[in-house]
This record gives sequence, C-alpha cells and structure tokens, in this order.
Amino acid sequence: MLDRLVGLAMLIVATTVFSYYTIWTLLMPFVDEDHFLQSLFPPRVWAIRIPVILILLASAVVGSFLSVVMIRSNRKKALKAKQGKKAS
Amino acid sequence: MTRAQQTISVFVLLTSLYAAFFLGVVPTSPKIQDDIVPVLPFWALVSFGAYLLFKLGYGVFTFNDVPEAHKELMAEIEQARTELRAKGVSVD
Repeated sequence: MLDRLVGLAMLIVATTVFSYYTIWTLLMPFVDEDHFLQSLFPPRVWAIRIPVILILLASAVVGSFLSVVMIRSNRKKALKAKQGKKAS
Repeated sequence: MTRAQQTISVFVLLTSLYAAFFLGVVPTSPKIQDDIVPVLPFWALVSFGAYLLFKLGYGVFTFNDVPEAHKELMAEIEQARTELRAKGVSVD
C-alpha cells in the first residue's frame, strides 16, 4: 500500500515539475508583463539558478561520498599491507 | 553499433543543431533568440530528470505482489535449510 503511494507521489511530482518548468521557461516570455499569470511565477533568472544550484549540490554530495569511500578503502588497504609486512 | 555509440551520436547531432541556433547561424526572431534559446539546455535537463522520475514512479506504482511465487520461494528456502542442516552446514 505504502509503495503504491510513494510511486503515485513520484508520478505527481514529476508531472508537476515538468509542467511548471515548461510553462515558466517556454511560455512566460510570450505573456505580457501585466498579465495575471506572471504573478504565479518568480523572475525567470531563478529558472536557471535553481537547476544550477541543484546540480552543484548533487555533485558535491556524490563527490564527498565517493571520496569518503575511497579514503576508507585506501586506509584499509594500507593497514593490511602494514600487517602483512609485520607478519613476514 | 553499440547502444553507447548510438546515444552519443544522437546527442552530438542534437548538440550541433542547438549550437546552430545558439550562435545565430540560423536566424530567429530576437525574442526567441534572447529568451528561449539560452534556456533550452536547462529545460531539456529538467525534463529528462522529470521523465526519469516519472518512469521510476510508474514502475513502483504498478509493481504487483505475487503471493503464489512468494509461498513457493519460502517453501524452497525451508527445504534448502533442512537439507543443509542435515549435512552439517550452520544455517541462520
């Protein structure tokens, strides 16, 4: 039951994000400045800033996770090599 | 032709088409050139992300339980457990 809800939520979020962003970037330039619709959307600079910020955030998270895993694995390898040297 | 080569060639084709519009080689109205063309890569990226999320959500939404296969699998696991236990392997 819960997983169906999660799936449905993902579907709704995906459609909403797509429609809002498409209208914002491709439709709003052709709408007059004093139309009511303009009040539903922030200034269009944010249509560029928000994806860029999200991309930078995502790469920072992925990069840090990767580096932590690599450092940990290198430390383990160095430890094992040292133990091997001591034993031999 | 591998799938990677196919994807890359389609990507290069679309990129060169976009570059033609971006650099002004193809003339368009000033409004489109200033407001729409620079935004297109970001729109494509966001739409791609939304498409992937949609596909994921749809898969999760339509994933059905299979109670018979579940029962069968549990019985097989139990059978394997007893056989291994008889041979002296420590299970769970």
